[in-house]
Amino acid sequence: MSDFEGRGGGGRGGRGGDKDKDDKKGGGRRTFFRRRRVCKFCVDKIDYISYKDVKLLAPFIPERGKIQPRRISGVCATHQRALQRAIKRARQIALVPYVAD
Amino acid sequence: MSIRRHMSTVRQYELIYIVPPETTEEALAELQSQVESITQRFGATIEKTENWGRRKLAYEIGKHRDGVYVLHVINGPAEMVTELDRRLRVFDLVVRHIVVRVDEELAIAERARTRRKSAMANRRVKRGLPPEPTEQERNRRHEDDDDLDGPEMGFRGGDR
Repeated sequence: MSDFEGRGGGGRGGRGGDKDKDDKKGGGRRTFFRRRRVCKFCVDKIDYISYKDVKLLAPFIPERGKIQPRRISGVCATHQRALQRAIKRARQIALVPYVAD
Repeated sequence: MSIRRHMSTVRQYELIYIVPPETTEEALAELQSQVESITQRFGATIEKTENWGRRKLAYEIGKHRDGVYVLHVINGPAEMVTELDRRLRVFDLVVRHIVVRVDEELAIAERARTRRKSAMANRRVKRGLPPEPTEQERNRRHEDDDDLDGPEMGFRGGDR
């Protein structure tokens, strides 16, 4: 670390570059590939999530009847909010269950 | 009631109510005319009426397992909603009802749609393409999609 600091600005950049290359060659650092997260509503360009559209809501309501969390479905925050509102309305008129057993 | 200015601003609402499946045509027609007369009193108009027919309820309401859904899209003032709500609560025929204000949300959706369209047109014009994608382009994109990007795909190793 002290050695690193002792070098000039130019040397630093060069060294950093080398280090990166080493990593790739040796496969030293494990690289994790994050799952591609896609928001269904962004992809399909759905602007309005209607509470009347049970077919649209159904994939986000697992067996138990709960609203699927974002971390599982990958829906973006904006659309999750809209989805939540739609599901809650749909529940009120018995289009979608509150709880299912 | 509350004293507010612009008391009669017209907004768009969706009214859905559920009646038991054994309801006779006449009874339903009677109910609908009642709804109509309430809306008329407030100078509202019914833009659309849809009868979804018999559907299974997601959960039992009272003793009912099925219900006939009726949807009205109404343009009218807010006071009408309170009145509708109160009246529908009283009708024994109505198993459940809901009134939702939709104009704002639809306007937001419409804005998002136009914004996206114009952004796409701008991008395409910059690349020297016609503003609207052709039928051919749309089809190609569809074929390329292998549909393998859902949450069920889970962790993916390898060089991707």
